[in-house]
Amino acid sequence: MSLIETTDLYKTYTIGDVSVHALQGVSISIERGEFVAVMGPSGSGKSTFMNILGCLDKPTSGKYILDGIDVTATNLSKLAGVRNRKIGFVFQGFNLISRTTALENVELPMVYNHTPSGQRRKKALEALEAVGLSQRAHHMPNQLSGGQQQRVAIARSLVCDAPIIFADEPTGNLDTKMSIEVMDLFTRLNKEMGKTIILITHEPDIAQYAGRLVTFRDGQKVSDEVRK
Amino acid sequence: MIDTLLSVFRISLKAIMANKMRAALTSLGIVIGVAAVITMLAVGSGTQQSMNERFARFGTNILYLRQPWDLDETISSPEDVTMDDVRAIRRVEDVVSAAPYISSGFSVKYGYTSTSIDVLATDTDIFKTYDWEIASGRTFNEHEVDTYAQVAVLGDTVAKTIFNDLDPIGKTVIFNEIPFTVVGVMKKSGQGGWGFDMDEGTLIPYTTGKVKMDTGWKSTSRRALDQVIIRVKDINTIEETKEAITNTVRNTHKIHPLAKDDFQLDDMASWIEQAKAASKTMGILLGVIGAVSLLVGGIGVMNIMLVSVTERTREIGIRMAIGATSADIRLQFLAEAVTLSCFGGLIGVALGVGIALFVANHAENIPAQLSIASIFISFGFSAATGIFFGFYPAYKASKLTPIDALRYE
Repeated sequence: MSLIETTDLYKTYTIGDVSVHALQGVSISIERGEFVAVMGPSGSGKSTFMNILGCLDKPTSGKYILDGIDVTATNLSKLAGVRNRKIGFVFQGFNLISRTTALENVELPMVYNHTPSGQRRKKALEALEAVGLSQRAHHMPNQLSGGQQQRVAIARSLVCDAPIIFADEPTGNLDTKMSIEVMDLFTRLNKEMGKTIILITHEPDIAQYAGRLVTFRDGQKVSDEVRK
Repeated sequence: MIDTLLSVFRISLKAIMANKMRAALTSLGIVIGVAAVITMLAVGSGTQQSMNERFARFGTNILYLRQPWDLDETISSPEDVTMDDVRAIRRVEDVVSAAPYISSGFSVKYGYTSTSIDVLATDTDIFKTYDWEIASGRTFNEHEVDTYAQVAVLGDTVAKTIFNDLDPIGKTVIFNEIPFTVVGVMKKSGQGGWGFDMDEGTLIPYTTGKVKMDTGWKSTSRRALDQVIIRVKDINTIEETKEAITNTVRNTHKIHPLAKDDFQLDDMASWIEQAKAASKTMGILLGVIGAVSLLVGGIGVMNIMLVSVTERTREIGIRMAIGATSADIRLQFLAEAVTLSCFGGLIGVALGVGIALFVANHAENIPAQLSIASIFISFGFSAATGIFFGFYPAYKASKLTPIDALRYE
């Protein structure tokens, strides 16, 4: 069975009298260990798609099975647990919690699954080690460069051993050199740790890192190609 | 579980420390509320205790007869309370003693030493009425009362102030130009009674006071007494005795059977009622201040928590994205509100304890007694305020959807 399996996803937002059809029947299946880049112009529905895959939002209709869990039939409070165990998020704006050290940021997902504090510290340090930031464990986010902050966010996405990492424009706020560092890190996580990575980007060079490229337009999947 | 709570608490502390000034101002209302509650409880229990002590010392078998201070307007010509009443009361069954009581402040001189004292003009019945004990010398006797003798019995503090180590017995002191011979000194009695403190005062025969020191007394009538102090034998029949005394005095005052009393007869019970009412009023006042402060403080906490929820919407989104449930978020903000108000509560406890101790040590008229229970009670109030007023902001935060929260700029 595929890790991610969606069938005919629809999402319609109603703002006042206007209905926006953000997704219009998207079916996709993603296997364990894939590195998928999702591209498309703004308004193409790729972010909506991403939010639904990330269990942050629910589709208006359609079915979504994540690692055997029927997400569309699961209530919101259970979804928090699904996000915690199955998914790691990396955002464009890093989304670290300010006034909180890198280490504490990385520990946070484990606070919500009630991991004992000793084990939390140990796993957080390991994750920081994996992204090459163990020296910066006690720095605050504002004492770190953009690339370092993004690596802390990646460490946070690893720490609960979630099989999937969702990266939403992870290099959007980074310069070329830092972007390369971050993308190399994703590649390594994909190759060495077998993480399934789903990356949203509008930059073709960034999409090059992925093994599979899915393109969206007007709420529909218009192309889906696997590269050698 | 404890681990999680500790983490939640640490996060709360961090959020609060990020805005120290704001936290301090927000908790000010709680600080005042808690301090007021502690002070209220301390003054309340202190007053209660000091009343109990006083009544225990005085006994409850003492009655006070006087003309009312707030005399009924319908009584056109009230009779003064006089020695005629005293003599009549002494014949009432179950009355042990009845002493005339006229008091005034005087300056007293001996050599170059002078001080001001309360002088109580009375007769020998006073020694049967109150449980005062003589320390040296003797009390004045009936013969001295009858002959307008210029003799005085000094209180303990007065004797020490005027005479230091000298033996006062037989010495002559001057009250308002009139010489008196000291015949005795009383033992220290501790805090005195209502209006007259024996330690700080001096006793003289009422006859001498009335005739020779007339200009010094407040009373317009030469015969009028301030009060009559009556001791009854049996506390259980005090109501009957009071009735008998009332009838006797109505008789000497020749009051028409349908007319109202032109005098007032109080026992300790009515004093207790008055004192209790006064301390209750004070307690209610402080309680209201405490409640209003806690209310205002609580609203302040709620306000700042609502601001905090809005400011940190994005943070809420992040937390939800990485696995926080609505319940986690609610707990988080509730913990912050409680931490904030408990912080105020702690300072309030410190302030309240400080005030209560200060009052206990420095304000003689307001007894205060601090109890551990009152500290816990008032601290509990601050925590409860945090929970009550923190709930709505926390609920609001928990109702956010992760996607809206993450999008919030």
